[in-house]
Amino acid sequence: MSKPILIVGGGPAGLAAAHSLATFGQACILVEKEDRLGGAPILEGYAKLVPSGEWARDAIGGMVDRAAGHELVDVKTETTVTSFTGEMGDFTAVLSNGDSVDVSAAILCTGFTHFDSANKPEWGFGTYPDVVTTTQVEQMISSGNGVRCLSDGRKPKRVAILLCVGSRDRQIGREWCSKICCTVSANMAMEIREELPDCHVYIYYMDIRTFGLYETKYYWKSQEEFKVKYIKARIAEVTSDGEKLIVKGEDTLVKRPITIPFDMVVHAIGMDPNVDNPQLSEVFGVDLEPHGYVDKANSYSASGLTNKNGVFVAGSATGPETIDDSIAQGKAAAMAVLEQRQLSARLVG
Amino acid sequence: MPIHEKSLIRPENLKVQENIELEGIDVSGHWSTFIESRVVTDYNEAMEEEIAALPGGEFIHRCWQCGSCTNSCTVNAINADFNPRYWIYLIRTGMESELLRDKDIIWQCVSCNKCTYACPRDVVPEGVMKATAHWLELKGHTPKSHSTIFDEIFSEQVIETGKIEDGRTIRRYFKQTGQALRQPWLEEMVKRLLRNLPIGMLTRMGLANFITPKTAGWSGARDAIKEYVSEQEAHHRKVLGLDDLVKAAENEL
Repeated sequence: MSKPILIVGGGPAGLAAAHSLATFGQACILVEKEDRLGGAPILEGYAKLVPSGEWARDAIGGMVDRAAGHELVDVKTETTVTSFTGEMGDFTAVLSNGDSVDVSAAILCTGFTHFDSANKPEWGFGTYPDVVTTTQVEQMISSGNGVRCLSDGRKPKRVAILLCVGSRDRQIGREWCSKICCTVSANMAMEIREELPDCHVYIYYMDIRTFGLYETKYYWKSQEEFKVKYIKARIAEVTSDGEKLIVKGEDTLVKRPITIPFDMVVHAIGMDPNVDNPQLSEVFGVDLEPHGYVDKANSYSASGLTNKNGVFVAGSATGPETIDDSIAQGKAAAMAVLEQRQLSARLVG
Repeated sequence: MPIHEKSLIRPENLKVQENIELEGIDVSGHWSTFIESRVVTDYNEAMEEEIAALPGGEFIHRCWQCGSCTNSCTVNAINADFNPRYWIYLIRTGMESELLRDKDIIWQCVSCNKCTYACPRDVVPEGVMKATAHWLELKGHTPKSHSTIFDEIFSEQVIETGKIEDGRTIRRYFKQTGQALRQPWLEEMVKRLLRNLPIGMLTRMGLANFITPKTAGWSGARDAIKEYVSEQEAHHRKVLGLDDLVKAAENEL
């Protein structure tokens, strides 16, 4: 049996890659810097996932059990990689715990970092307790406590969800679309309406990008069945009159300024490149693309290739990605590793 | 007046000081023109539900503002202020005061239904226009339109007797809408009827003006229809809060 494969990051992509490789009899070492596996869906406490509707702890928790329970998967939590040297088929990785391991390849499944809303102070996050992020609302739902105003615990009567917080904004150097926030927000709006039928939910948008089949299941359904209201306006600022949050902007469809009182404002925060990407780039010798994500080669011949032979990449390390696609990419990268091993074995043999 | 895009400005939002002096400089009249911005300060969240409760308005919440209704609209081609897309938006977001500015043209929908066939999400904008005109009347924002008055006279007679008698309908309609019964076109029509119709039919038509013929065995149908109509009306009164409106008006008096 050849040397193990190093998988960096235990989120959906890493878990999928580890399980696929182990299933084909390939040993792997799964390195995770946090104290638990599962990635953002587990660490950030997501509620029900899009599009399955399954609770994150069940769906991703199942992936964790399946990968971590496999005898060929060696899990190392609270561990990072400090150096990675050698060449395809013969790398040496030094881990933060001092261990040195010989591996034949690496798959970077290092994911993303949520945008920090404090970088858009005009939208009130950090100033008003009732301005929260989609991640916080996910936690309110997954904890079972329900959606409540953080200031006094009351049930909100009117909620505004602001899209593109930390996305599509040159002012803060983030030109990309984070891809999933529209769908997640539409889903969240329905969850709020389901829990609090008297609460009106407004989504302020520039464009709605519930791509593909999400159109019916999220955008149309949220309007047609849950009466969620969509207003085409990019909000200028969130202030307060002492009682309510005041959302100011221009309703572009009526060419009219708006100053609307709300109980709660939710930032649909985007996906930033992982803050560790500069170090990862240095350690593994992979290029970053201009936005700061790991640069991925085209995938016509093989999936998940980087500029460095023997280092593969999958999931939202390469840019904003859905959970489903991260899993698919993890599996594809695993297959690419096996393909390469097979090809080089033939050449040697 | 040196202001661009005047069409976007409502006259009541233009503030001009007749006499004003700033730091010793006379800036009276147009020199002191200020435009107050038209800020929307709240949403009336009941509005969409009220219109959705009226026949035709059921699917208003589906609208995503593509504008297919407005750009296919027969009336919009003649009057650019007739904009179903815009009104649907005002209703959905609850901008009531903005909608009321256009209350005198909303009824002009000719029900050609071009919008109904253009709409990608089956909002049925023609129905929404009908429901909106109805809403404006029920809320007392506009007087009953002639077509509403005609509909009421017509359906009242049908429900009561199971038959329709044209002469009685026309007389009541003209009376209630303050129109003279002696209209040249009507006189001409009657003359030609007298000249051309068989005598038996004329006799029956004439008699029908004095006696009120009824469809045999109609009473069962009449009761069922009346019950349904009163149920519907009670539902509309409830959703639109009309009884509260009446009470509030009485209290004011």
